Amino acid sequence: MPAAIEIKNLQKSYEDTVALRGIDLTIEPGEFYGLLGPNGAGKTTTIGIITGLVKLESGSVSVFGKDIIRDYRFTRSKIGVSPQEFTSDWFFSIEKLLIFQAGYYGIPKNLAQPRVDEVMKKLGLYEKRDDKIRFLSGGMKRRFMIAKSLVNDPDILILDEPTAGVDVELRRMLWEYLQELHEKGKTILLTTHYIEEAEKLCGRVSIINDGKIATEGAPHELIRSLGKGSIEVQLTGWQASDGGKLNGLSFTYEPGEGDGRLSFSVDDPEKELPQVVELVSRNGCHIHEVKITKSNLEDVFVALTGREINK
Amino acid sequence: MNWIGFRTLTMREITRFFAVYRQTVIPGLITSGLYIIIFGLTLQQRITAIDGVSYTVYILPGLIMMNVITNAYNNTASSILQMKLLQQMQDMLITPMSNIELALSFIIGGAVRGFINGILVLLLGIAIVGMPVEHPLTVLLFLLIVSWAFSSAGLILGIIAESWDNIATMVNFFITPLIFLGGVFYSINMLPGFWRNVSLANPIYYVINGLRYAVLNVGDTPFSVSFSAALIMTIVFTIIGVGLFQKGYRIKS
Repeated sequence: MPAAIEIKNLQKSYEDTVALRGIDLTIEPGEFYGLLGPNGAGKTTTIGIITGLVKLESGSVSVFGKDIIRDYRFTRSKIGVSPQEFTSDWFFSIEKLLIFQAGYYGIPKNLAQPRVDEVMKKLGLYEKRDDKIRFLSGGMKRRFMIAKSLVNDPDILILDEPTAGVDVELRRMLWEYLQELHEKGKTILLTTHYIEEAEKLCGRVSIINDGKIATEGAPHELIRSLGKGSIEVQLTGWQASDGGKLNGLSFTYEPGEGDGRLSFSVDDPEKELPQVVELVSRNGCHIHEVKITKSNLEDVFVALTGREINK
Repeated sequence: MNWIGFRTLTMREITRFFAVYRQTVIPGLITSGLYIIIFGLTLQQRITAIDGVSYTVYILPGLIMMNVITNAYNNTASSILQMKLLQQMQDMLITPMSNIELALSFIIGGAVRGFINGILVLLLGIAIVGMPVEHPLTVLLFLLIVSWAFSSAGLILGIIAESWDNIATMVNFFITPLIFLGGVFYSINMLPGFWRNVSLANPIYYVINGLRYAVLNVGDTPFSVSFSAALIMTIVFTIIGVGLFQKGYRIKS
């Protein structure tokens, strides 16, 4: 089966800036994939090219094996998109707009209506169906944007910052809903600023910075490859040296009043913990407290880009 | 061809202006009615008939065209600009509709508004001053062509425009002057030679003159010339408008 989305050497320049410097990306059917990166990294441009909002300059994109330019009718019918910026409208109710949206996808009204009703109910928009967008709250607008991306029952769902500016409750609800859609077999590509979101939802992520992919992999693999975990043991009775290596694990010792603190630097703290505890006990020490520090995706991000994602 | 998509967007464009008929349909009727009453009650007694037609009736085809042109143009131009400003254009661009389907839907929406406004002022003329309609089928055909032409012109301007000011500038500085100078209120034969020739360079002169022939069977220029001029405008504006849309000019980054 061809990849859900395959991007090859995508490059794009705007008047005075280079937005993409050769992006290669393959997303398999059924994946939940995250694009992480600071503002201006090229996430929205990449999504724009896949969906037809941004002109392709160089490189190629295919969706289920079909080229997005030559076979745009096929590729666009497979994709649902929720852009980052809210749309507005002065004339029509949100229900009407969703029916229109389905219509552009070639779905006649009688088939669109049950689908639109279902999506509105699922996202808690049904009570507001007669309202116009401009009278909706920010959270409701976000729900509407997501509803709109689902009216054509797409195989691939592309969400650009779906939880930007929404409250915690709605964020959790959207996470649950996205997981449900993923379990039903939809391929999901999302961009986000929220590291927690990517760690929680995505099977694989790419960190994109300055128009290039800095790294790609499963979140836990990326964290492990960074190898920056530690185990701290608060103890009494430590007799050995101030620091060095114990069974190949490097450590430091800080004496304190009555007791002291051993810090082990390890790749995977959860895996190394039993060994550390055993080593320390074997030295006749009494352990008071153990503290584990693990890297997260944010640390991976900082290590790769030299800046924090939200800065 | 994505017929359902095409029909959906076309119907959206039509329902959009009907939803605000107080802004899009009624004003043309009121101003035209005012012109008819004011000119009919006051000036008509002082101006002799032109080409054997009373003055009020003589200006009616021009008033109809004024409505057709401004409504067709404004509908498409403002719809496109609004969609750009409200981020709605992206909703269409991501769908499996071709650029030609999108562009034609917008053109048809504006053309329908221009046509309906034209017909309403025509009926108003018949009702208030008993205006005769000499060639009814030609009138309908000509109104359709001109509605399409100026709706396409609106598409071009809507694509190029980046603010409401751009659209208003175009209307105030070009379209309205060209309509008034196109012989709505006079026959260009009344003008001195130089200005008469200048008028012949005004494309709107031909559409007014053509409709005057179709409605009243009088005119300064043969109908075939007016009809050709209208047809050329339709083709040229459509090709440019659809072409710009195809290129994604100021629509896609």
